[in-house]
Amino acid sequence: MRMSLKVNGQAIETEISPISRLSGFLRDVLGLTGVKEGCCEGECGACTVLLDGQPVDSCLMLAFQATGREITTIEGLCGSGVNDLQQAFLKMGAVQCGYCTPGMVLAAEGLLHANPSPGEAEIRHALAGNICRCTGFETIVQAVATAAAARQGAER
Amino acid sequence: MNQISRRVPLVDGVAKVTGALRFTADLHVEGSLHGALVLSPRAHARVASIDATAALAVEGVHAVFWHENTPSRYYNSSIWFAGQEALADERMFPPVVRHIGDRVAAVVAETEEIARHAARLVVVEYVDLPAIFDPEAALVHAGPVMRDDGIPAFMNPVADESFTHGDLDAGFAAADLVVETHVTMPRSHHCAIEPHACIAKPEPDGRILILSPCQSVFAVQAVVVQALGVPQDQIRVVKTPIGGSFGGKAEPILDPLCAFFALALGRPVMIRYDRHETFTATRTRSSVVGRMRIALSSDGRILARDTETLVDIGAYCTGGNYLPSSMLQRLVRLYDVPAERYTGRAVYTNTVPAGAFRGYGSPQIHTIAEITLDISARRLGVDPVEMRLRNLIEPNAIEPWQGLNVGNARGRECLIRGADAFGWQGRRRADAGRGRWRRGAGVASATHINGCYPGFHEETTATLRLLPDGRAELVCALHDLGCGADTTLAQIAGETLGLRACDIAIVPADTDSCPYDLGTRASRMTYICGEAIRRAGIALAEAIRAAAVLELNTEASGLRLEAGAVRRPDGSGLALSDLAARLAARGEELPAATEIYRAQANPGSYAAHFAEVEVDRLTGRVRVTDYLAAHDVGRAINPMLVEGQIHGGIQIGIGYALYEDVAIDRVTGRMRGDSFSRYTLVNASEMPPMRVLLIEEGEPTGPFGAKAVGEIATIPVAAAVVNAVNDALGTELTDLPLVPERILAAVS
Repeated sequence: MRMSLKVNGQAIETEISPISRLSGFLRDVLGLTGVKEGCCEGECGACTVLLDGQPVDSCLMLAFQATGREITTIEGLCGSGVNDLQQAFLKMGAVQCGYCTPGMVLAAEGLLHANPSPGEAEIRHALAGNICRCTGFETIVQAVATAAAARQGAER
Repeated sequence: MNQISRRVPLVDGVAKVTGALRFTADLHVEGSLHGALVLSPRAHARVASIDATAALAVEGVHAVFWHENTPSRYYNSSIWFAGQEALADERMFPPVVRHIGDRVAAVVAETEEIARHAARLVVVEYVDLPAIFDPEAALVHAGPVMRDDGIPAFMNPVADESFTHGDLDAGFAAADLVVETHVTMPRSHHCAIEPHACIAKPEPDGRILILSPCQSVFAVQAVVVQALGVPQDQIRVVKTPIGGSFGGKAEPILDPLCAFFALALGRPVMIRYDRHETFTATRTRSSVVGRMRIALSSDGRILARDTETLVDIGAYCTGGNYLPSSMLQRLVRLYDVPAERYTGRAVYTNTVPAGAFRGYGSPQIHTIAEITLDISARRLGVDPVEMRLRNLIEPNAIEPWQGLNVGNARGRECLIRGADAFGWQGRRRADAGRGRWRRGAGVASATHINGCYPGFHEETTATLRLLPDGRAELVCALHDLGCGADTTLAQIAGETLGLRACDIAIVPADTDSCPYDLGTRASRMTYICGEAIRRAGIALAEAIRAAAVLELNTEASGLRLEAGAVRRPDGSGLALSDLAARLAARGEELPAATEIYRAQANPGSYAAHFAEVEVDRLTGRVRVTDYLAAHDVGRAINPMLVEGQIHGGIQIGIGYALYEDVAIDRVTGRMRGDSFSRYTLVNASEMPPMRVLLIEEGEPTGPFGAKAVGEIATIPVAAAVVNAVNDALGTELTDLPLVPERILAAVS
């Protein structure tokens, strides 16, 4: 079937299989391998992308369900650069093996979009669907809080 | 100090945080085929027949492989080098499957989708055989592990280690209190977020290139050579970025298959496991049953200790035969115990094989010992911290088993300073509560090794070379598992050369271009590889100074390397890139240095962990509410990465204490916890606030005083949490994990 959608700001019209997962479509057809697959059952969050600004597990969506919607993957977050949140991840040691990181960053972006000044418990709750096996989440939570505070400060 | 003790961000961090880093499954290899496996649904069965007709009829399928058309050679997937003596009992596809998830067949096709579809069409007839799921029952299945003709017999025990030191009877006779415990520990899974994957690619010269997220390219090469029976130089292995391992990717599992398929079909082959396959068809932490009998004086001194362990290593030996002795090695270097007896046995069962997992037996043995010690302290009425202080081993003590010096062991400082920072006294005395919620505090100590000395040829070779752009290239067969080893080691190199960590270009581990190294295991990266790199760095600095003498018209001894330049005492000098250019112009080779470092010691790393928990007596749920970890790291090369290791270790340890169990059914042999929805992992909301206290007293044999931290970080956690729960409830729980049902059974 044919579908059209926007991925990382670019309009795409393509032929897809009606049973193809969104995560598989993004990785295999569009080559956006920043989308990671960890479980394909919506438990680990490694495949998190933003769907119209909201974090979703792309493994739980069929590609055609994204028709007419706008998807942002880690590749589309800041081009080849590193934004303030990603910078905070690096500076605070919130990245170890890096496999969960793209999904984690996007889940955090989704949170900050919906709630620009989250408390620690809200950050932890928002990231509860993204599993990191390396960091114990401590520095990830700190990185998100730091970026949120900096963004709030910049707006004032 | 320019680089040491600095919170340097990961040298490969930008690629990770932007998603640009390509993991194995992200690689596009031109013309690649894809493999999918048929895994056994039977726990122990003879594969009577395989009908691949329907699978082969699917368009896009290239081949179906099973035991009749693949090498029948036995191998051991845990060997580290060619010729290593190990019980070879594994086959690519065995004619008799030995556990649910064992490999029966594989389909190789144009796409993964086609391969997986066709794999479901392979018709297999099984003839069931009696299966053993209980390690105690497995002891009855006794006999030699190998037949006379070299065929594995799968008899038990696979290993039987015993050790006696001191006068045990006298110790028990003099005791004021004898405590006996029975501790059971689950089979937990690594749960690296990247599932297993591998690519093998035929090269034009007839060799096979294996791209593998592994812990040692040389181990992969050795195993593939053993499995395929090809010459060693036909197999080249390059390490790819690794999305977490924790020991789970220490043994090559897919590599022999991919290599054989690529060789047979003349096309690149990729296999990537899904999550279910990663659970059921790789490795787990071994489950252990421990019995400990401990004799104590009234003031809390350990007089004698008698320990028995039974290790369930699953269906194949792998490295499981080392587990009983590994546990002993770590047991004897924590406390000064005048009389000790240890018996450890490892047995086969018809369950998924056990393998390496962060700490390799240490979490198991220290959990047994630390829970036992805590129960003893409570029965004696001695404070658990005080009791540990009375028994801890002193710096430079000689442990009784291998006679190794434990080095600058600072377990005492970990306990004292940790207890103080945690507010131990106050929390321990605080009332547990009366109603539904009970609070408690727990402590546990631990130790772990630094490298493989004296068990294996513990040496490594590091080469540092000045590059034309003034940076330095490091060749040392390094395998960063995501812990930041590349960054730490680049800091060490940078420190010696006046460069930044990001100025060190690390050559990825490659069997073709790197000298042999044992790989990332046994807490050896910082301590062993780091020391080799430090020495190579000092030698390269010397060579650079010597090369600069002519350019700077001064004596080498007056020159120093600083901020990417070689400088005279007055600060004037030459950028290393300029020096390189001038040397090149003169036709001289750029300075390089190679150091072979052979370990002469195996000091202990030490830790004390403190946990506070809240237990819900109504639901049985335990929440860890506060946590402090004090670690004797010698010196933190990168405190941020050290803390990161400790945070992650606590996370895995809390899971081990409270949730994680692949839960193999004792009747059917089926794994119940075989997916993330049925295997509970600690998430962000469940993690407590964590504080880390680093004790940096320096280990004289370590690079800049550093010792290992990665494995020990997870070792004391489970005992600290269990001890806190027992404190909260006034119980003596010893069966892990403390799932709600167990808590409820204890309080009802």
